[in-house]
Amino acid sequence: MSAIELSVNGKLQRVDCDGDTPLIWVLRDSLALRGTKYGCGVGVCGACTILEEGRAVRSCQIPAADAAGRKFITIEGLSRDADHPCQRAWIEEDVAQCGFCQPGMILTACSLLREHATPTDSEIDAVMSDSVCRCGTYPRIRKAIHRASAELRKAAK
Amino acid sequence: MSTTRRTFLKSAVLTGASLLIGFDGTRRLLGEAVTSGPIRLSKWIRIDSTGTVTLTIQEAEMGQGVRTSLAMLLAEELEADWSRIVIVQASPGAPDFPNLGSTGGSDSMESGWKPLRSAGAAAREMLIAAAAARWQVARAECRAENGAIVHGKSGRRLPFGELVAEAAQLELPKDPPLKDPKDFRFIGHPTKRINALDIVTGAASYGIDTHVPGMLSASLERAPWPGAKLAKWDEKAALAVRGVRAVVSISNGIAVVADGNWPAQKGRALLAAEWTGGDQSFDSTKHRQTLETASRGRGVLLRKETPPVPPGPVVRTIEATYAYPFYAHAPLETMNCLADVRGDHCTIWAPTQSSGRLRKRVAAALGVAPENVEVNVTLMGGGFGRRLAVDYALEAAEISRAVRAPVQILWTRADDMQHGHFQAASSHRLSGGFDAQNALLSWRHTKAGSFHNLDGPPTEEKTKEENFHIYAAWGVYDVPYAIPSIETAYVPVDLPMKHGPWRAVFAPSSVFARECFFDELAGAVGADPLAYRLKMLEGVDIIKAGPTTIDRRRLRAVLELVQSKSDWGKPLGERQGRGVACNAYFGGTCIAYVVEVRVGPDGEVKVERVVAAVDCGLVVNPIGVEQQIEGAVLWGLSSALKGEITFAGGLAQQKSFADFSVARMKDSPKIEIHFLPNPGKTPLGMGEPPVPPIVPAIVNAIFAATGKRLRQLPIRAEELRV
Repeated sequence: MSAIELSVNGKLQRVDCDGDTPLIWVLRDSLALRGTKYGCGVGVCGACTILEEGRAVRSCQIPAADAAGRKFITIEGLSRDADHPCQRAWIEEDVAQCGFCQPGMILTACSLLREHATPTDSEIDAVMSDSVCRCGTYPRIRKAIHRASAELRKAAK
Repeated sequence: MSTTRRTFLKSAVLTGASLLIGFDGTRRLLGEAVTSGPIRLSKWIRIDSTGTVTLTIQEAEMGQGVRTSLAMLLAEELEADWSRIVIVQASPGAPDFPNLGSTGGSDSMESGWKPLRSAGAAAREMLIAAAAARWQVARAECRAENGAIVHGKSGRRLPFGELVAEAAQLELPKDPPLKDPKDFRFIGHPTKRINALDIVTGAASYGIDTHVPGMLSASLERAPWPGAKLAKWDEKAALAVRGVRAVVSISNGIAVVADGNWPAQKGRALLAAEWTGGDQSFDSTKHRQTLETASRGRGVLLRKETPPVPPGPVVRTIEATYAYPFYAHAPLETMNCLADVRGDHCTIWAPTQSSGRLRKRVAAALGVAPENVEVNVTLMGGGFGRRLAVDYALEAAEISRAVRAPVQILWTRADDMQHGHFQAASSHRLSGGFDAQNALLSWRHTKAGSFHNLDGPPTEEKTKEENFHIYAAWGVYDVPYAIPSIETAYVPVDLPMKHGPWRAVFAPSSVFARECFFDELAGAVGADPLAYRLKMLEGVDIIKAGPTTIDRRRLRAVLELVQSKSDWGKPLGERQGRGVACNAYFGGTCIAYVVEVRVGPDGEVKVERVVAAVDCGLVVNPIGVEQQIEGAVLWGLSSALKGEITFAGGLAQQKSFADFSVARMKDSPKIEIHFLPNPGKTPLGMGEPPVPPIVPAIVNAIFAATGKRLRQLPIRAEELRV
């Protein structure tokens, strides 16, 4: 038991919790950032995905003690006005059904696009297959990733 | 919904500033002004002085897009400004909604179609009349347009909000004119999900996201098999975890209550609970044998048709048995519920498909009147029928009562996998008889399965109701093909595990067996499976099977459409194949699929392309319909090729998506969707209907690719290895 300092969405947070508390519960229960979803708790569904230095990480697999001093972005901190190219593409392709897995999907896609600015379908498969959607939104996620990629390329020019 | 309709009524009277229109239980339009005494509403709309249009619905949103599509129906006739529509979820027990039904059975569009448009039209006519009176012009010169009334000649414009006070004084038109479909600007036009922005920003609030001050978190260790009793547990270890407040025994297990989810889960693990007694005999492999034996028995006859003139003798009989396993619903949001029991009152926040039932069951469990239980329905992270059960709410209420605080119970994924209300296993015995000229003369299909037991097993009285057995055998009795002699039957088999509705309820197993076996019969006479379906759907156009009416012309039309769009008959490469299947869901929505698969040398099946032809009546939201098909394809792909639930020692063996695998992005095929050009004037259901025919189309495609006829799900790669 100790106070842990970490940065979430650009803000320094001080949380008093046991060191073995998975980061997902620090975010949800201590910091009230409930856009990060619980889906399995064992790192196999991707619903709790957040970003660290732009890379997708599973918040259920990071103990609070290890999170100390690190910087994370959750879905709430991805953009100011829901204007991240992935968020826009998700709306444009009408990806979501129930929507529960989508914060994790969007952040995983952000991470993918950082590694592969113009991802092929097999690169999308390789990265996105780590996440589960039970409603079956995969075809639209694929389209949205291609759309966001095109928008990012346009913006870079 | 925290503000009741009576409060609204009062405020409307006080300020004269809202126009309200609702529907009673018989879908009769009710004007607020003429309403007195208790009424039962299924939906109502309110237009306030700011111009906000609030639509209160009882249908719960679980991803099927019901909020969007119902709002479209209203907006169409009201000529509303889409951006000004707000959806409110009805609560059972508020004065306007004393009883709420369940959201399931794919009937929201059918049931909302007429009343919502009528309500929109009535409001529109009243607003027009109010504007015409204000301007002192003929009402024929005024029209509604994007949230306002416009006077054509002068170009004057008054937003709805400025007219509601006057409009509310007018008599409600009894039979307001509805728009000509050619003028529709919402219905039939792709419309994006009404809460998409909330979803992509993380603001959408599901059951798990509900929070009230002073709320505690609970994790419950349940009896692992039916009837197990707690033998030993270490309460001290659990209480030693920082943040753990209490350990409480409830009827269903032992709960650890804490300041957050982590201490609750950690404390629960440290209980090291041991269980004794009960029934550990259930084993899914043995059950499969029991079902198979049962399917060879006589069962309850569901449909028997014999030709008036006996046809020539059957000279060849083909027989097969199909086996269908257990599956979990596994929605991404696990079961959860927040309950706040105070004295003889209880407030619930739950992601539920069945708020009315939940209220009654919680009231009964607490021994209070249903009026004392308030249920707030949240967004659901998937439902698929699992949230028709209310077990998780009963648990939350019991725990809250015990600790005298608001408590949210959250099921872990393992809880969700092991304590589901599973899709039940079944066995299907089929046979077909041919005469010497290869004409199909007889069809026999006996299903051995289990009735739902959400509220316990059905009473004997219930099982004597007309059509009781037929409802457990959708897809069996309603075989649509023109075969002179048809006999279908159902054999009920006891099942101690909880099982309940799953997406498409009883149909997936039946249609899997029926449509695969039909291919076997086509193969037995050397016929093309698609052509053979078309041939066997000739004859009388409209048939009656039990309570179901099937229009064979609609099935033929979707089969012909899918044939023309799928390259049916064109050669494919080695170990590639196409399969077809079709179904009329309860005689309503008709769907035919052609699936292309490629089977690797290691036996891995890749579904590469799915072509769907759909007749779901009038399409309200094309995007919504497409999403339902995409979702159903992936749902079916999971059940055909991925995980199943197995039981050993009375306990479900799977604990996460690692051992109950489901379709992932890499499994997702190319999906092409085609609608019939003139599908009808009213909408039909789409949540469940696309599910049943996808699995047999996949299995038939595997046969076409490999020559292997697999009759047991899920299909395993080792069965298909070269």
